[in-house]
Amino acid sequence: MPAVTIAATGLTPAEEAAFRSKQLSVQQREALIKPFLPPEPSSSSESKPTKASRIAARRRRSVQKPKKHGPIKNLVFFATYHFIALLFSIFFRFRRAWRLAYIKFVSLLKYHHRTPEFIAGDVSRLEKLPKHLSIIVELNEDDEQQGNAGLEGLMNDVCEIAAWAASAGIGFLSVYERTGVLKNYLPQTHTHIEQTLELYFGASRKPTLSLRAPHLSSYSPPTTPPQTSLSNGTTERQHLTVLLLSEHDGRDTIVDLTRTLAEMAQRGDVRQEQINMDLIDAQLSDHVSSEPDLLILFSPTVQLKGYPPWQLRLTEIFHLPDNKGVNYQVFLRALHNYAKVEMRLGR
Amino acid sequence: MGSLHDSRIHKWFATSPPVAWTVRQLRELLIGSLKQGPIPQHVAFVMDGNRRFARNHHIETVEGHNLGFESLARILEVCYKTGVKVVTIYAFSIENFKRSKHEVDALMSMAKVKLEQLAEHGALLDRYGASIRVLGQRNLMKKDVLAAVDKAVAMTAHNKKAVLNVCFPYTSRDEITTAVTTTVETYSTPIHNLSTPSKRTFSESHIAQHIRKQELGEDAEAGAEQPESRSTSPASKDANSPGEDEVSSSTSTAINSSEKDEMQGEVTFLDPESISAQTLTDNMMTADAPPLDLLVRTSGVERLSDFMLWQCHETTSIVFLKCLWPEFDLWQFLPVLVEWQWQQKKLQEEQQRIRGRPKAD
Repeated sequence: MPAVTIAATGLTPAEEAAFRSKQLSVQQREALIKPFLPPEPSSSSESKPTKASRIAARRRRSVQKPKKHGPIKNLVFFATYHFIALLFSIFFRFRRAWRLAYIKFVSLLKYHHRTPEFIAGDVSRLEKLPKHLSIIVELNEDDEQQGNAGLEGLMNDVCEIAAWAASAGIGFLSVYERTGVLKNYLPQTHTHIEQTLELYFGASRKPTLSLRAPHLSSYSPPTTPPQTSLSNGTTERQHLTVLLLSEHDGRDTIVDLTRTLAEMAQRGDVRQEQINMDLIDAQLSDHVSSEPDLLILFSPTVQLKGYPPWQLRLTEIFHLPDNKGVNYQVFLRALHNYAKVEMRLGR
Repeated sequence: MGSLHDSRIHKWFATSPPVAWTVRQLRELLIGSLKQGPIPQHVAFVMDGNRRFARNHHIETVEGHNLGFESLARILEVCYKTGVKVVTIYAFSIENFKRSKHEVDALMSMAKVKLEQLAEHGALLDRYGASIRVLGQRNLMKKDVLAAVDKAVAMTAHNKKAVLNVCFPYTSRDEITTAVTTTVETYSTPIHNLSTPSKRTFSESHIAQHIRKQELGEDAEAGAEQPESRSTSPASKDANSPGEDEVSSSTSTAINSSEKDEMQGEVTFLDPESISAQTLTDNMMTADAPPLDLLVRTSGVERLSDFMLWQCHETTSIVFLKCLWPEFDLWQFLPVLVEWQWQQKKLQEEQQRIRGRPKAD
């Protein structure tokens, strides 16, 4: 393909035309391509199969290299590289400053005031909401930003987001955190989220909550039986499910599944044709989680950090460039962005 | 955004020899200077927006795909000249078979024509040292397309400098499923079907020792055969070797018990506990490619659409661009590359800081 490639950088209309119609002969086409090719076929020497010749070729190449582009050209490249790097680093810094200022400005206008009605108002115009919302949060080791370092900061972030999700009317929230530290504190996390929900909704209206993690049993509150809530209020109380995910639920779980399948195959319990996408999908969505509709990143760039790969298939990924840390505005913008998007399955 | 025909004057200006020469020199200069910094080893592209481009410019969808192909050609030039080793492109998803038959047929015939043209210019391709590989479900391809694919792959197979992975009828879930199936198959085939000589005349311990030795050899062979239809480059073998060690150590524990097993006439398998993420990675279609550094998706859709899920969910930088694929060129790609280089530099600084801290404490 690159052969066609270079011609396609085609500059004269004749060249472009040549590639639309297949009138030209092979030789003519090659002649067209020639000026765009690297000067000498240096690479073909590397393709020789034996190791010795490859090493020799590499050595030859390393000797040739300075000759290939002269020292002046190298200097020009070097200078240009640093010039571009400098230019862009100034640009990136200014862009980040501007974006951060804008984020601050918008967050002054849009604040939830810990009131579910405000949040509900903010999302009331949206025609579609994700049924399953997923977020990636981080355990910050050092206290770079105030107040969200360590386990306490992580817990606060998760509680806040859970409250926002409940206020917006989202019923299922999965929280990915690479190390999975919160999984060790299921009961504590549950009480914390409950408290935050109570702070937002008040004791009588607060949604019921169940917290679970893959491979661990679901932690549902024994203290708030659903019967009382039904008798209390005229409407049924909202329910929020929070699922905690970690790095282990990604690749390692697929590896575990493969091990199990291999064991079964060794015993003859499963035949190879029986292993297909549906089987794997069913197993993984039962044991880990279903596909989220929307994934919100609170990091400045898109890096998935080991998020379970199988579930990511068609998930909308949202991040706010240069944003750092959990922020109500990111949450809100993600929901707005999601509502606008048209869903096209076949790309 | 006007139609393509409105920009005739602009086009005339851009194609006039001095301007064209300057632009070409500028490209060379930029590419050469980009090379001075860190360069991603493996870049993947989702070529999205051909249809929307065609719709915006009131041209046929097929023509949009053609322009998209030209754009791909330009980008490949940039990538290989800057020193990217592997480029993976999402050419056709298994989901795409759901599109109109007309479009599917057109895409297929376009692929065939381009591959045939490529085969005519096989020698020219060697200058870039790029070989083509097709990742995906071969059995979903038509016979004539498959023949063209095989020809192009065979033609460029000897090039080792760079690789172009074309994901043809591909989805990532399908890839993962295939990797799981292949692994299960490897682990569920008995590792030795040796007909042991009669036990009365020979000492049992000696035989066991002999088998163990034989198996070590056999394992290494099996390991090499395992990735089917893939040329095992020396680099991937290096990556394999820790896995092989594990395998061979586990079999040596298995053979200890097999002295009893042999009497019962049971077969021995590889230990499933030795399956690791690396085993699955080795069975992916991109096994011998370096880890994915950068994934670019055009046309503003912020979704992976079943592409490279296994490869990109760790530390890959994922970039979503607003521009449509046929508009994508060095000028759009340059900021992406520079930003990646910038982030890479920051990352290095941070690592150095972390490494420096324990000393300070």
